[in-house]
Amino acid sequence: MDDWKPSSLIKPFGARKKRSWYLTWKYKLTNQRALRRLCQTGAVLFLLVTVIVNIKLILDTRRAISEANGDPEPEQDYDEALGRLEPSRRRGSGPRRVLDVEVYSSRSKVYVAVDGTTVLEDEAREQGRGIHVIVLNQATGHVMAKRVFDTYSPHEDEAMVLFLNMVAPGRVLICTVKDEGSFHLKDTAKALLRSLGSQAGPALGWRDTWAFVGRKGGPVLGEKHSKSPALSSWGDPVLLKTDVPLSSAEEAECHWADTELNRRRRRFCSKVEGYGSVCSCKDPTPIEFSPDPLPDNNVLNVPVAVIAGNRPNYLYRMLRSLLSAQGVSPQMITVFIDGYYEEPMDVVALFGLRGIQHTPISIKNARVSQHYKASLTATFNLFPEARFAVVLEEDLDIAVDFFSFLSQSIHLLEEDDSLYCISAWNDQGYEHTAEDPALLYRVETMPGLGWVLRKSLYKEELEPKWPTPEKLWDWDMWMRMPEQRRGRECIIPDVSRSYHFGIVGLNMNGYFHEAYFKKHKFNTVPGVQLRNVDSLKKEAYEVEIHRLLSEAEVLDHSRNPCEDSFLPDTEGHTYVAFIRMEKDDDFTTWTQLAKCLHIWDLDVRGNHRGLWRLFRKKNHFLVVGVPASPYSVKKPPSITPIFLEPPPKEEGVPGAAEQT
Amino acid sequence: MKGDETNIIFLSKKDEINWVTLKRQPSEHRRLMSRINKNVILALLTLTSSAFLLFQLYYYKHYLSAKNGTGLSKSKGSRIGFDSTQWRAVKKFIVLTSSQNVPVFLIDPLILELINKDFEQVKNTSHGSTSECKFFCVPRDFTTFALRYHLWKNEEGWFRIAENMGFQCLKIESKDPRLDGIDSLSGTEIPLHYICRLANHAIHLVVFHERSGNYLWHGHLRLKGHMDRKFVPFRKLQFGRYPGAFDRPELQQITIDGLEILIPKDPVHFLEEIPRSRFIECRYKEARAFFQQYLDDNTVEAMAFRKNAKELLQLAAKTLKKLGVQFWLSSGTCLGWYRQCNIITYSKDVDLGIFIQDYKSDIISAFQDVGLPLKHKFGKVEDSLELSFQGKDDIKLDIFFFYEETDHMWNGGTQAKTGKKFKYLFPKFTLCWTEFVDMKVHVPCETTEYIEANYGKTWKIPVKTWDWKRSPPNVQPNGIWPISEWDEVIQLY
Repeated sequence: MDDWKPSSLIKPFGARKKRSWYLTWKYKLTNQRALRRLCQTGAVLFLLVTVIVNIKLILDTRRAISEANGDPEPEQDYDEALGRLEPSRRRGSGPRRVLDVEVYSSRSKVYVAVDGTTVLEDEAREQGRGIHVIVLNQATGHVMAKRVFDTYSPHEDEAMVLFLNMVAPGRVLICTVKDEGSFHLKDTAKALLRSLGSQAGPALGWRDTWAFVGRKGGPVLGEKHSKSPALSSWGDPVLLKTDVPLSSAEEAECHWADTELNRRRRRFCSKVEGYGSVCSCKDPTPIEFSPDPLPDNNVLNVPVAVIAGNRPNYLYRMLRSLLSAQGVSPQMITVFIDGYYEEPMDVVALFGLRGIQHTPISIKNARVSQHYKASLTATFNLFPEARFAVVLEEDLDIAVDFFSFLSQSIHLLEEDDSLYCISAWNDQGYEHTAEDPALLYRVETMPGLGWVLRKSLYKEELEPKWPTPEKLWDWDMWMRMPEQRRGRECIIPDVSRSYHFGIVGLNMNGYFHEAYFKKHKFNTVPGVQLRNVDSLKKEAYEVEIHRLLSEAEVLDHSRNPCEDSFLPDTEGHTYVAFIRMEKDDDFTTWTQLAKCLHIWDLDVRGNHRGLWRLFRKKNHFLVVGVPASPYSVKKPPSITPIFLEPPPKEEGVPGAAEQT
Repeated sequence: MKGDETNIIFLSKKDEINWVTLKRQPSEHRRLMSRINKNVILALLTLTSSAFLLFQLYYYKHYLSAKNGTGLSKSKGSRIGFDSTQWRAVKKFIVLTSSQNVPVFLIDPLILELINKDFEQVKNTSHGSTSECKFFCVPRDFTTFALRYHLWKNEEGWFRIAENMGFQCLKIESKDPRLDGIDSLSGTEIPLHYICRLANHAIHLVVFHERSGNYLWHGHLRLKGHMDRKFVPFRKLQFGRYPGAFDRPELQQITIDGLEILIPKDPVHFLEEIPRSRFIECRYKEARAFFQQYLDDNTVEAMAFRKNAKELLQLAAKTLKKLGVQFWLSSGTCLGWYRQCNIITYSKDVDLGIFIQDYKSDIISAFQDVGLPLKHKFGKVEDSLELSFQGKDDIKLDIFFFYEETDHMWNGGTQAKTGKKFKYLFPKFTLCWTEFVDMKVHVPCETTEYIEANYGKTWKIPVKTWDWKRSPPNVQPNGIWPISEWDEVIQLY
């Protein structure tokens, strides 16, 4: 303000005495150009100052307003931390309205480049056969999903249909074929491709190459196709170059109510695809479940460690079922992701849970094993007060009464030193061999697949001698070894409280899953009251077994135990059969019996001192190994134990397959 | 404004004068007219803009003072009563936390002290019967609360609600130190501090995290690059200069100044902890590097030793805590912590340091009572005291007593056979908390200096043969005990 020159010139004017002097002076100067000029420049300068101050004020006020309206910075931080800079923004040249997309399809190589960035490149041999599908966000050009469907093999086209149907309308779809993609591409899939507007897709033939870019719900943005000239040769490589116009962000997003939950949902849905109705604009599936609380919940403060790899769709399904289970406390859940994968982290964030990433150490089974160790150690570090931890895997469904089951049984782990774990999984609990959700067993094997670990066991015994990375051991096999288990047993339910749905895993494939896991029984009844939990303690359990054996009816041992008629058509009876078992580790007959009963036969599971308990035709069915089992004394002298010959050496027996 | 009025007059006078000249020269008339008009317009413009400018400057000043309001809080807080900004901010904060189930308790040292002064009266005061605002109305920049993070269930929505209530909040996050000890884990960041400002008073919310070893930990308040360094006068904060460790306090509810709040049940103990709460993390990264160079000993014997040494240390810590004697990890045990975040498997004993002024005569009997008989006692309270207890499986617990001189500390050693005395010199040090084998224990804050005094600059290289009389660089011969005193100063059991 003090810089205002004219004002200082005028100042003396206010004093009356000096007025005449001033006027004369003024008069002298009036006709002088220079003065006018000076006045004018002064005024202009003054105007300029005003304008500058004005602008500064406006800027400051705006900043103040934006600060007052919620601090946007944490969110930006979060975005940056997860590397969510959108490509169009990153270039800093304002939003780009067009993406150039290149799609290449050939026998041995496929690639997709968006705006010069390669988002898919696969030239590995013997790998990646079939139709590669990429979904881009129509507003940002982000890759939201990347899948490959080996439509040369059966059923893969069904998975593709399922996936494409889940993709939200408006998204940019990119398809390209590597090697062969038509052999098992059935009509439904072809019809779907037609509905996307593809010309060549529905007519895709043996060893054709094909590249396609389109918007879901139309229009097609580019397509190239090359027919294979002969059965033994491939179509020519095709390179499709096309421009994809971007739409505005508002069009790409749904208008959900502005709540904390929907903010999570929006973040998730603008980033990934293939999760179906969770991103539906009209009626999205809830992502918060608030199941009924459990009265007298003894496991409310038990941390839950979810061990995950890079199977985000599995993790999504798993977490849904976990968060729907009665008595769950979400803040106790930690998801441990083996590797720096983004999508599983997105799934974890969608549900508002804690996720921890783990730099992979070692390879194959040892990698899983190191991941387990780090996850368990971290769990007990994060929850130093916890005496137990629940360990889950990403490919499990969790029963609605999972926590209720644990709440009723967890005190056993505290009171009975002869226990190794409580597991939600019964290895022998198939649809046809499990019946009673209120019944618990003691078994010498450790089933895993949803189990409770005692902190003292981990900290004092397991952690210090956990297999080192170079050992390439399976953590669960290692835990089952006598050096670790030391004769202790696990508590399991007759009807499993977890369900293993994963068919893609380290030791898993479709065939294996169908044979050993698909028909597993899974409890769906809420609030089951477990029966006689204290009878599971060491001594009490022996009393219980003796009582059971005493009242059990001895089956007709002359019949073939593999046949259905071995057990009478009754309900609710208890039957016992005696099989030959020379020593503690002689499982010849048991393995054959397990095989013909279509239960787990790859190694011995579910035994307790030479005794197996299961259900057949709604009757409790006990099998005792004679003479190794101490319960052999219950065998009537007249009965000869059943002996089943192992089949002569066969080739195609599945190798040492284990659960992941 | 006055200047502007005169400005008009000035211009109009000028016009009159011009008018006289106009009559003579009609052609110039128009030219002058336009110039006059121009001048008038210019003047008007100047006038309005200056008025505008003045208004703006006034407004701007007002805005600035609101922004830096915290700096002026002292002058404004002269009116002490329930309408003070402090009290209102705290009240709003309490309303917010109780409605959102944010598990907070008061840890403000100043207010805790005030409460402590008339604790009895405070406890007996029932709701709303206070007539005078005594605690929350003292003019200050901050009120400090602690948040028990593990009890917090709805972290997500809280921030926004706070801002809707008028708070301006700053959140300081960092990676989780509990994952540091584990190879290659990286998690979501955890909140360490919240600072929420309402008018010119700020609530500092220190986030307490549970750690292994039954204690609460809070992090260092470190401002990241983009943060507003003038958000609040950070230097005046009482927590966050360093990470800190506290015993998990029991809490009680009290009503002060008409507000229901939780405070530590034993405010005296809590207040005592504050100045001594500084915590240092083990150097996990360096420890990992160490184990990459010198593989860890995973033999059964090594494992058994670690387990036993850990149990012995836990037992010793428990016993000394009961006696109220402060101790720290010394010698080999301290080196193990600093170098490899674990017990050195070939060290064969557990070493602790205690200041001689903390010595209590019932230490020996207390250890005996928990099954650790005295093995030897060297020196006396006045000079070179050292106690050694026999743990199970041949592990020894050595306790060295430290004597303070003006510019250094020292502890003594005695050779039983010859009665020779030794002196181990250390630069002066203070004590910090750390976490070691699932325990909260003290170590010298100036650890590097301490270790280097004891083991030299090459402490990073494992040495398996160590002669306590010759190897340490800080050992000095200190004469010999007179034979007459041997019975007292060399006791072997």
